[in-house]
Amino acid sequence: MRTAAGDRLERSDLRVALLVEAGAALSSSLDLTATMDRVARLTVPGLADLCVIDLCDDAGAISELAAASVDPELARQLEALRGRFPIDPSGEHPVARVIRSGQAELLPEMSSDLLRSFAQGSQHARFMLAHRYHSAVVAPLSARGRTLGALSTIRFAESESYEQDDLELAIELARRAALAIDNAQLFSELRSVEQRLEAILRNLAEAITVVDNHGRTVFANQAALELLGLGSPAELIDSQPGEIMARFLVLDEAGRELDLDSMPARRIFRGEQPTPLLVRNLVRATGEERWLMVRASPIADPESGRVLYAANVFEDVTGVKRAQLAEAFMAQASRVLASSMDYAETLQLIARLAAAQLADWCAVDILGESGELERVAVHHAEPQKLALAQLLDSSYRPTLDEAIGVPEVIRSGKARIYNDITGDALATYARDAEHLRMLREMDTRDVIIVPLAAPSRTLGAITLVSSSTSRRLGADDVDVAVRLGRRAGTAVESARLYTERTRIARVLQQALLPDSLPGIQGFEIAAAYRPAGELNEVGGDFYDVFKCGEQRWMLVIGDVCGKGPAAASITALARHTLRAAAMFDQRPSAMLHALHRALRQSDTETQMCTVCLVVVDPPGAVVPLTVALAGHPQPLLFGRDGKASPVGEPGTVLGVVDPIMLSEVQIDLHQGETLLLYTDGVSEAAPSDLIATLELADLCMDAPEMSVEHVLKRFESAAVESAGGRPRDDIALLGLRLANLTLG
Amino acid sequence: MSTDGAFQIASTDGLGPVMPPATNAIRQLRISKRQRPDRAILELDGELDLVSAPALEEAVLSVLRDGPAMVVLDLRAVSFIDSTGLKAVFSARSAVQERGRQFAVTQGSQQVEHLLQLTRLNVHLHTLVAPDEALA
Repeated sequence: MRTAAGDRLERSDLRVALLVEAGAALSSSLDLTATMDRVARLTVPGLADLCVIDLCDDAGAISELAAASVDPELARQLEALRGRFPIDPSGEHPVARVIRSGQAELLPEMSSDLLRSFAQGSQHARFMLAHRYHSAVVAPLSARGRTLGALSTIRFAESESYEQDDLELAIELARRAALAIDNAQLFSELRSVEQRLEAILRNLAEAITVVDNHGRTVFANQAALELLGLGSPAELIDSQPGEIMARFLVLDEAGRELDLDSMPARRIFRGEQPTPLLVRNLVRATGEERWLMVRASPIADPESGRVLYAANVFEDVTGVKRAQLAEAFMAQASRVLASSMDYAETLQLIARLAAAQLADWCAVDILGESGELERVAVHHAEPQKLALAQLLDSSYRPTLDEAIGVPEVIRSGKARIYNDITGDALATYARDAEHLRMLREMDTRDVIIVPLAAPSRTLGAITLVSSSTSRRLGADDVDVAVRLGRRAGTAVESARLYTERTRIARVLQQALLPDSLPGIQGFEIAAAYRPAGELNEVGGDFYDVFKCGEQRWMLVIGDVCGKGPAAASITALARHTLRAAAMFDQRPSAMLHALHRALRQSDTETQMCTVCLVVVDPPGAVVPLTVALAGHPQPLLFGRDGKASPVGEPGTVLGVVDPIMLSEVQIDLHQGETLLLYTDGVSEAAPSDLIATLELADLCMDAPEMSVEHVLKRFESAAVESAGGRPRDDIALLGLRLANLTLG
Repeated sequence: MSTDGAFQIASTDGLGPVMPPATNAIRQLRISKRQRPDRAILELDGELDLVSAPALEEAVLSVLRDGPAMVVLDLRAVSFIDSTGLKAVFSARSAVQERGRQFAVTQGSQQVEHLLQLTRLNVHLHTLVAPDEALA
């Protein structure tokens, strides 16, 4: 027999127990459906005959989340019914009203008319009437100012009507459930955000890792795993700090090894703000090289602000960097190739450059004239290995019939790359045991051989080799090497032609000048010839010293306009015409007229020639000189007083126009005085300008004390200087000094 | 040709298939043609040397096809001339005079004048102060 007081006490205990149990259920799991099922079941039968928990989504649609009843079949039926006839959110169903208002409703007695009024169709009405719905409490599920749904408790006809304290209990229970639902939803949202974030990180092309301040990697995306050469995140996360990094050689741009402390992530933990760091990453095992731009940013605890993690972003800039390096390398190589016409020296510089920047060692082989291979350049970063490479070549130089290597590349004209050369491959290639031993000692992993290609033919080959401890050579390197081979090949071909032309030009020039100057009693005499820069063109400058008659000498210096074979033939004509003319008439103007006529008669185009002619009469204490000029600069007379003066009167250049006007000027040459005849292409500064140069002023002072040869040298350097270091034309010099009389 | 035209050459030292290093400083001669009722004027701007001389000869032959009574080479803007350039000026002179036309030049730069005096070729040229000046 129950008393009213006992009832109240029992109900009060029941309520406390219900809330405690509900609290336990709500905090035990984040699985929303399972938790709400438990909450609904807790109310049955003590608080309700039927308990329903409905949720509304963001769009306002209401759906049942959990239902519990004394008879499980009833709960299932209701679920099915709600599925077919969902509650209209804007309708009069108490659940819809409570969700809209956020206010709990107590329905102590529900008449059949009331039930029909909010039924969601006749089936729903029949269901409620059949189960004799009698009394109900509907409480909102409210959290953080939002109504998430409603908790409904229903009693059937046999049970008591709900009262105010039931309403309060339902409100309290609903409030706790709402918190749990809210938490679960937040958690689920967080999960989804995290999943999305992780999906983004995973799929980023940039490698991303997150490390803690012990150096442990707690996250790595797919790109990072690939970069680090790992199969799974577990492999990374299980590794010891530093264990992964030990697989790599990390270098800075200048090739210095970087330690972990200089990496941006470490600097973040030291409280610094690191700038992005460009590193060259080499996989020690394979030699695979990547250029990475490493950026790091801190991940701080939002509350304490302490840096918990550092996120690393590794951007692979290998392509860009390689292209940049290749361009820089080619620019350097081009400069080297243009720096000299000595191709052996140039190729040695190229080999040095390539060994420093592309591979460990580089060799250049050239096909000799008789078809043998000649190693013209080799360089290795390590001196011992260089010696070994040289020994290897001298002992086992490849012959042209070999099937692979340099001979094959020269034959085919095609570039080759051999990666990961195995011991077996070396053994097959080696000629004998010693050869194999040396090949092994060279420690070769990758080899690139490219043709040294001139436009018309393959001149030889460039070989690049990397060892097992350095960077792996790849297709990019082949591209650079092929370009290098073409550039160097063209330079070598050009240098060879140039050398050949220079040799011919020298021979020809020598033929146009006297083999040696005759000795003239009582005089000191010297000549010099300075080709202008390039050696490969025959210049038109000439000089001559010859005797006519018993005591008389002729000094000639001249310049034929133009260069090359045509100028050379006129030079020969000029020399020989003057010599022949001297046999008939030794007046300078007569000799020059003879040359002028010869030039005018020559059937080719206008031939122009300038000449300075000096007749030297027999020596004495004072020697009379006759100077005639035809378009030629005035010779300089260096006096004993440290002054130089131009001598002679301008005369018409030969071969251009008629008539020509020539003057003969007589001067005296005293002991110790020097007469200097010169050409400077008749085009450079006027003699007065030349004399104005400091060099020449000094020369004048020093001339009496110097040998004639020395005077010529000094004059030459003064002339070169006045022409800004690069005279446009050849310079010929002829000097004559009347020796001081010596006693005895 | 009735309108003013321009011939231009860009050239390098050391012609031929073999290009020695460091000789690729580009020197230019720009030749502009001006037509006057009584004369054709060729204005030369730049360096007249071994490299650019052929362009001058070509330009002279080209203006002669229009049959001017006189051809004037305006040398005032010639910064440098060498013996090949002088030869080209006198080849032009021959070509013009052979066709019964008159030939004149303007005064050139100091370097041009120095070379003309040194070779005494100045006495064989009609030299004008300005290209439009009447022949004395």
